[in-house]
Amino acid sequence: MMMILNALKKFFGLNAEKSEAETSSLRRSFQDHYRSFRSLLTANNIALELMAEMEETFGAGQSFSMAFVRGHCTALTVNIYKMVQHLHELSNGKYGGLTGAFNSISVSIEEILARQPKIAGGKFVLPLAEVDIHSTEQAGGKMANLGEIRNRVGLKVPDGFVITAAATKHFIDSNNLQDEINRRLKLLDHSDLEELYTTSASIQQLITNAPLPEDLERLIIDQYEELARRSNSRVLVSMRSSALGEDSSNISFAGQYRTQLNVTDDMLGLTYKEIVASKYKSQAIVYRMQRGFRHQDVIMCVGCLAMVDGVVSGVMYSRSPRDPRSDWIVINAAPGLASQVVDGRAVTDMFRVSRNSPHEVLARELRVQKTASLSDRQAAELAGIAVRLEEHFGLPQDIEWSIDSTGRIIILQSRPLAQAAPVEESGMESIEVDETQPYLLGGGVSASAGVACGPVHIVRSNIDLLQFPEGAVLVVAHPLPEWATILNRAVAVVSETGHVTAHLATVSREFGIPAIFGIAHATEKLKNAEMITVDALGRRIYEGRRDDLLKNAPPPSNLMAGSPVYKLLEEVLRLITPLNLTNPASPYFMPSSCETFHDLTRFCHEKAVTEMFSFSSRYGFDEKGAKQLVGDIPLQWWVINLEDGFREGLDMKDKWVRIDDIVSLPMLAIWEGMTAVPWKGPPPVNLKGFGSVLFQSTMNPSLDPAVRSSMASKSYFLISRNFCNLSVRLGYHFSLAEAHLSDLLTENYVSFQFKGGAADENRRFIRVNLISEILEKYDFRVEQKADALTARIEKKPAPFLIERLKVLGYLLIHTRQIDMVMEEQDMVDNYRKSILADLEKIVKPEKENMP
Amino acid sequence: MSDRFNILLVDDEKDFLEITTKRLMRRGYNVRNATTCSEALLIIEGDWPEVIVLDVMLPDRDGIECLKEIKRKRPSSIVILLTGHASMQAGRQSMEYGANDYCLKPIELDELIEKIEIAYREKAKTRDISD
Repeated sequence: MMMILNALKKFFGLNAEKSEAETSSLRRSFQDHYRSFRSLLTANNIALELMAEMEETFGAGQSFSMAFVRGHCTALTVNIYKMVQHLHELSNGKYGGLTGAFNSISVSIEEILARQPKIAGGKFVLPLAEVDIHSTEQAGGKMANLGEIRNRVGLKVPDGFVITAAATKHFIDSNNLQDEINRRLKLLDHSDLEELYTTSASIQQLITNAPLPEDLERLIIDQYEELARRSNSRVLVSMRSSALGEDSSNISFAGQYRTQLNVTDDMLGLTYKEIVASKYKSQAIVYRMQRGFRHQDVIMCVGCLAMVDGVVSGVMYSRSPRDPRSDWIVINAAPGLASQVVDGRAVTDMFRVSRNSPHEVLARELRVQKTASLSDRQAAELAGIAVRLEEHFGLPQDIEWSIDSTGRIIILQSRPLAQAAPVEESGMESIEVDETQPYLLGGGVSASAGVACGPVHIVRSNIDLLQFPEGAVLVVAHPLPEWATILNRAVAVVSETGHVTAHLATVSREFGIPAIFGIAHATEKLKNAEMITVDALGRRIYEGRRDDLLKNAPPPSNLMAGSPVYKLLEEVLRLITPLNLTNPASPYFMPSSCETFHDLTRFCHEKAVTEMFSFSSRYGFDEKGAKQLVGDIPLQWWVINLEDGFREGLDMKDKWVRIDDIVSLPMLAIWEGMTAVPWKGPPPVNLKGFGSVLFQSTMNPSLDPAVRSSMASKSYFLISRNFCNLSVRLGYHFSLAEAHLSDLLTENYVSFQFKGGAADENRRFIRVNLISEILEKYDFRVEQKADALTARIEKKPAPFLIERLKVLGYLLIHTRQIDMVMEEQDMVDNYRKSILADLEKIVKPEKENMP
Repeated sequence: MSDRFNILLVDDEKDFLEITTKRLMRRGYNVRNATTCSEALLIIEGDWPEVIVLDVMLPDRDGIECLKEIKRKRPSSIVILLTGHASMQAGRQSMEYGANDYCLKPIELDELIEKIEIAYREKAKTRDISD
């Protein structure tokens, strides 16, 4: 390379000897470039970490919020913007197309993030007679279903009307509330319960205090007058939330929002506002966060229904929530209104009724009184309705009903049955429990299956709730819907009363949290902070941690999968993480080919290194030219000093450098790994392996060194005191190690790329597998595609990274030709063993080097 | 770490301002603070301060407008925007108007210090060269 350089200099009439002024100006210009390079690397480091976090969160099934997605996208934009700017500085604007590519990708992501839900139809109120399943976007899921049941299934429902999504939007817009609500939500730290309650309360207050637009108030009163006329009396009404996005399959939103019974006509406006505000109840905020709903995607509609004088009421499931193929219907019934059954307070009778006509009662469990709250005829009639509704909607249903004083069955609500976790719907079936095991408490019903262990935390009031520790068992007297606020931090629920049809049971099943309801005196017998294991299916509570039971617990389900926020992140990630620019030698490795943020980082990084590499040749600047490493060393290496990588006093005009002249920390660490164990020479290759090499050489032109750029045709260290970029061309494979070590964690990283080899694909693949296994053992985050591997660690202290660099140095030397012999498993095992044994000697154990 | 330089914190959230000022001073930085943009503009004088940490939403002015004015008054200012309101557009605009970084609240103190140190280093070195 030096010869070519000199030839070029002569050709352009450049004298090898430069004047002092020229040299000094070049030195400054180079320093300038080096600063930009450093800043670009830091931005690259941050961007790659952000992308890895997004992918990990997406894949891991943990809950994440819109704030997470928005925050990460914003931080990425800023850092990629910096990379593009720094590359412009480094290359004097050579890659003009980059800014355009960056802008178009970020604008596309911004558009996805800003998407608003559509609001259909302009009517502010709709009588139930005009509502059916096609009105979902106007009336919300719950009221659209109720209209469908009235108008298309032909069952009795309460008379009434719906205040639509358009009305709510009108109310919010005319008071300019949305920006303020969003501002308060964005500042909210979800992990801080107290803050959650304060923010929730302040937003609800903001909404209820805002005046109702006059036109809307007028329309609501008119609708009520119509209702009163049809009922021949000034009826009391119940007002219920009916949110858009509610009640979709497996997403229950059970008990999240407010329902107000017995509303008088003078309270219609205020109650309406309270229900709209209940979108921001703390449990609703947490629930949306857990299930991946954006707050803006949920729009509150409100149903206004004539009160039913329920004599008996309850909830029924058209199938067992445990088994969708089950042949029976589960009915819970209690005297009085249905609301007592769903909020988990009332004691109920439980019936199991056949799905087949004439709907025989298969089993009953009477808990209210000695006589059943439902006659067999009523149970059969209810069962018939359950089957009809399931057939009509095409999914198992969860139905709220009442029987009024005239004996008519009135349907209050029907929605898809949540079947997220298998559950035993009552104590009717015996579960095998080891009766010889001593336990603390037993009995009740299994409201949500599973086994979990944690300290007891008894909650009697909101104060207890605020102190609820992450990972505790929630122990309560009644399964009230508001306890759902802390289901994301509880590991199990134990309640003295309640049954499977309570809202809290539904939400527990969705979240996959084991729950036993109906364990008498649980709040007295269990002590705060005492460690217990809850076996919900066995309906037993054991003392201490019981690993024998815990190992049978099912893995947690992915609550986010398929939710709006999950889909949104999926869509956004498509513009962020895929890497299309993998081969710098390809003619398509250019700005206009960058389709993702990852492509941009890859392009900027590659070109920045190339710019630094070629600075000396571009400017005829010998001082920064490559020097060959000499001494008793293996193979051939060239070193380019970017800044302060050589010891002071070294004559920069020398064409050679010795390892003692190097002061670059990362380079010295790699070097130590390379030379710690002498290389035993190439492994004995059998004829088959050698044949595979010859074959690959003729097939793959990129294996011919002449095809690659000058940079890749030799092995180079680009160094400064804190930085090293090593590109290695050894035989037929190419690898790249890069590191920055400083006292600021934000700048620190080690990265490694490895590709190719001379042997056939299978052998190369086996070798890459072995290397990635070893790197993962040493804390690298490894990504592997066929025979190419990239590995990274970032934001760790320098001493930790130095040990990892030794591992890379060792692997670079000792794995280079083993692909030839990578065929038999024995051989692989032998290599693994010897590599790990060597590394154990070279790498200092963690305790010594972690601060 | 670099020499302890001067920092101006601009934020209308008094609690945040107080705690962060105290903590940064404990780490050896010279810190002053302001709750509005106009107050901040009055404090900036000559070489003081090296680094300005600026909230994006201020009572008297939009943070990006404030950034523009600071840059107009003293182009060499190192400005780090800090915000609880993550917006890609605001992030991009801030960088275009010469911010050195755009960070999101909540932020750990150590992370904020690293961001400040990095911005200062990057800037300080380029200034050496142009001087």
